[in-house]
Amino acid sequence: MENKVNSACETCPQYNAKGLKKLGVHTGNFDYVVALAGNPNTGKSTVFNALTGLRQHTGNWPGKTVVRAEGAFEYDNSKFKLVDLPGTYSLLSTSQDEEVARDFILFGKPDVTIIVVDASRLERNLNLVLQILEITDKAVLCLNLMDEAKRNNVKIDERTLARDLGIPVVPTSARFNKGIPELIQTVNEVASGKIICKPHRIKNVPKKIEDAVAKLSAEIKKQFPTIPNSRWIAFRLLEGDARIIKALKTGEFV
Amino acid sequence: MKKDEIEKLITLSSDLRWKIGDEFHDSLAEGIYADASEISNASVSRANEKKKFRLDSKIDSIVTSKTWGFPIMFLILALILWITIVGANYPSAMLSNLLLDNVHPFLKEVAANIGMPWWLDGFLIDGVYLAVAWVVAVMLPPMAIFFPLFTLLEDFGYLPRVAFNMDYLFKKSGAHGKQALTMSMGFGCNAAGVVATRIIDSPRERLIAIITNNFSLCNGRWPTQILIATIFIGAVVPSSFSAVASMSAVIGIAILGIFFMFLTSWALTKTVLKGEVSTFNLELPPYRPPRVLKTIYTSLIDRTLIVLWRAIVFAAPAGAVIWLISNIYIGNESIAAWTINFLDGFGFLLGLNGVILLAYIVAIPANEIVIPTILMLTVLVTGVTGGEGAGVMFELDSVNATGDLLRAGGWTLLTAVNLMLFSLLHNPCSTTIYTIYKETNSLKWTTVATILPIIMGFIVTFLVAQIWRLF
Amino acid sequence: MNYNPVNALLIFFGLVLIGYLLFRPKSGWFWIIKNNLKSNEKIIIEDVLKQLYHNENSGKEMNLHDLSNSLKFSDGTIVDVVKKMAIIDLITFNGDIIQLTSSGRDYALRIVRVHRLWEKYLAEKTGFDKTEWHDRAEKMEHKLSHEETDRLASHLGNPKYDPHGDPIPTKLGKVASLEGEFLSSLKVGTIGRIIHIEDEPDVIYKQILAEKIHIGSQIRVIENNKERVVFYAEGQEFILAPIVAANITIALLEKEESLEENMARLSSLKDNEEAEIIGISKESRGDGRRRLLDLGFVKGAKISIDLKSPLGNPIAYLIKGTSIALRKDQASKILIKKGVKHGK
Repeated sequence: MENKVNSACETCPQYNAKGLKKLGVHTGNFDYVVALAGNPNTGKSTVFNALTGLRQHTGNWPGKTVVRAEGAFEYDNSKFKLVDLPGTYSLLSTSQDEEVARDFILFGKPDVTIIVVDASRLERNLNLVLQILEITDKAVLCLNLMDEAKRNNVKIDERTLARDLGIPVVPTSARFNKGIPELIQTVNEVASGKIICKPHRIKNVPKKIEDAVAKLSAEIKKQFPTIPNSRWIAFRLLEGDARIIKALKTGEFV
Repeated sequence: MKKDEIEKLITLSSDLRWKIGDEFHDSLAEGIYADASEISNASVSRANEKKKFRLDSKIDSIVTSKTWGFPIMFLILALILWITIVGANYPSAMLSNLLLDNVHPFLKEVAANIGMPWWLDGFLIDGVYLAVAWVVAVMLPPMAIFFPLFTLLEDFGYLPRVAFNMDYLFKKSGAHGKQALTMSMGFGCNAAGVVATRIIDSPRERLIAIITNNFSLCNGRWPTQILIATIFIGAVVPSSFSAVASMSAVIGIAILGIFFMFLTSWALTKTVLKGEVSTFNLELPPYRPPRVLKTIYTSLIDRTLIVLWRAIVFAAPAGAVIWLISNIYIGNESIAAWTINFLDGFGFLLGLNGVILLAYIVAIPANEIVIPTILMLTVLVTGVTGGEGAGVMFELDSVNATGDLLRAGGWTLLTAVNLMLFSLLHNPCSTTIYTIYKETNSLKWTTVATILPIIMGFIVTFLVAQIWRLF
Repeated sequence: MNYNPVNALLIFFGLVLIGYLLFRPKSGWFWIIKNNLKSNEKIIIEDVLKQLYHNENSGKEMNLHDLSNSLKFSDGTIVDVVKKMAIIDLITFNGDIIQLTSSGRDYALRIVRVHRLWEKYLAEKTGFDKTEWHDRAEKMEHKLSHEETDRLASHLGNPKYDPHGDPIPTKLGKVASLEGEFLSSLKVGTIGRIIHIEDEPDVIYKQILAEKIHIGSQIRVIENNKERVVFYAEGQEFILAPIVAANITIALLEKEESLEENMARLSSLKDNEEAEIIGISKESRGDGRRRLLDLGFVKGAKISIDLKSPLGNPIAYLIKGTSIALRKDQASKILIKKGVKHGK
């Protein structure tokens, strides 16, 4: 039952002959690494299962996945390895879950990060989204639990949202496999460079802090001209994050 | 290299940090949320300003109400335990009939036919196989019932409400409301309960929950409690009350476990754990209808089988040890008999005996094999007729016969009471110890979690024995 | 075996008693012996320096007699140590008044720096209770080396103030001064902000803690006489004895700096009331504070009560579309403005 993709649109390109193949735990020889991030309770694990055909347990509990789970799927002749990160509210604190999630996005350099959010609680979920967009350029927003949002009379203008965030937005109801084909296609397009993201960067920072961040960020760029997230590293240095300081010293960013 | 440059960078960052001062994190968090508000205001519209989905708030107002909150909770827990204990009887009997009464003799026969030497046959079939078969037969059915039921509640979203209701009580002993759940999970299996503490994200409270999980009487210990209570406690009251008396004794032990859990939590908070960071937050997620079949499947895979596999891995060597100590002789006594003689004095002080202590030492891997080991060792040292031979664990079909055998081994009511207490208060099984180590990654906390309950067990049984003998 | 349950019990309780006497917290013999073994000259010198420093700062002069009264070492030891300190130029005598030399002052400042940094560390990075910070810092101040202290400081982000509001001396020995007045000396109607709560003596500090007075709160003095000091802060009235109020320092605010008259603690929010968050009190620290911010308890967020647990604590609040339960002591550290209508 899990293996049948809901036929929302039979003519979509993802239904052509070389379409989707769920690979379960066979994660060898992949072309792209995809990270799956999101708040607790957004149905992140359900999205994971829908994509890979696996049956990871999905509790209705904040903070269920503590270790990362991995799975794979194949689409359009490319193999994707999918890494399910622990559900967190933020990446700014220092709990174990957050460190696992943060380290993977920062040092694992996934080709695409799918950020799963609860459509009825968008504002709260954006807290994490905006932080992730400071770290990585390649992301897709998976607007999950659309069925619940509909029941709660919440309407979301996806095009405005995509424009404001600078990344593609795909509405889904992973429980019912709705929107999953579109999600896969979008992930593929971002991974292969067909879609270029221009992610939103945090704006409402007080002048005093923004000045410090700009100064520090410029210095970081001088030392590591290739890294895309100097601003976020500046944030972390100002927070005194020991892990990031260590990473600078050992050159993990290069 | 550019090491100096990096040092400069870090110095620059600490200078800037000093200039900005304390409020950096606050400002950043506020800034991000301000952005989030702007973006969501631009794209989200709500048809009407309903606070919550109506059904959700209706359920919430009942399950967290002053009148109904607690009764509903206890009813659900009691129901789950009842279904587990009663429902597991039949598959357990079937499995033990299959694995112990049919496969075991069959294996013996095959071994005899191919001319396997008696020691190899004993070691492998009477030792290793029997222990593993026993654990599977006793452990699998209750876990296969308990975990899916519990997982259904979890998926529905009820469990966070339980944590919400109970938090005040747990807070008094320095613990987290979610410990109510890891504890309940411990009634199924302590190893699973320890894994479940992952839902507690505050370091101190999580350690408390891990260390005290052993005070939840697990599936492996319920049968021991019930058997001993039926034989000894049931016998001291008129026979029409015996069922009620023995059942209350078992429930009493479980409640005593909860009491010790609170006591230990409190003591830990005041002493070794007081420096660990402690935070609290609890999200009450919306209710979601669980998908029953899927849940049963995943909870079998995720919890039951993993825990069962670990138990088997540990039970196999234990079976080998049990067989070896009963069959290797030093002089004209087996190692088991030597050890029992050696432990008898200490056992007497605790109101127990050498057989029980030895059984608990060799049965560290799984509480399920304590009773069969005790029976086998009792036959071994008393020389009473019966049993299956040295090193071969067995259980008797009739409760009365078991009682007669134990009484022949010198058991009194005191022995029974103290065995029940000791079954509650002793080190966790090795599966749980291993799980604690995996979860905490700390030898220190693993040691505390292992040693603490056994010391409490010694003290409690010792005091009970002395006071008992005073009168 | 001559066994008698009474003997067994007697031996057992005897052992328990010995264990208790040896290891009971603070006054157990084991700890006393351990401490005495460690009370070497260095610790006594440092304690003398600190004592002199604090007294000189508050303008008091000390002679040998005062010194030995204020420290818990024997008179003989203190006389010996003071002699030695004069020789190595940490102190000088001015008549019978003992004064710090400039090198003595530098040394004292380093000790104070370690003490306050360690309190800051305990507050931010550990779960120790407030009442334990002082004693633990007292021990640690003799232990940390220069390098360790500097590393600790940079790990904490070179903080300027300790959790009680005392300025932390910098590496070079600079100390910011505490500009404020004691609460007991303020006129009725004065508006200010609590910037310092003294943690010594212990008895008075515990009274302040019991009143749940928070550092950083804005206050307005309502009454001040010989019997009592009454002030208004965060939606509540607090009544203190003048001797207790003297241990709280207030930075005065101009009237224009607008005291939020309808500011209150989240713990005072009632069913069906709606409010807006103003901020989180400085009393909420470390991971706990960060977690609250992550969960959306930020300035401007709308908040109302969603559910109360059967025992009344914790309470679940509806914030940014989600129901999040907080305990009462957490809620008392979140400041709100009542009477705000929900909606756009």
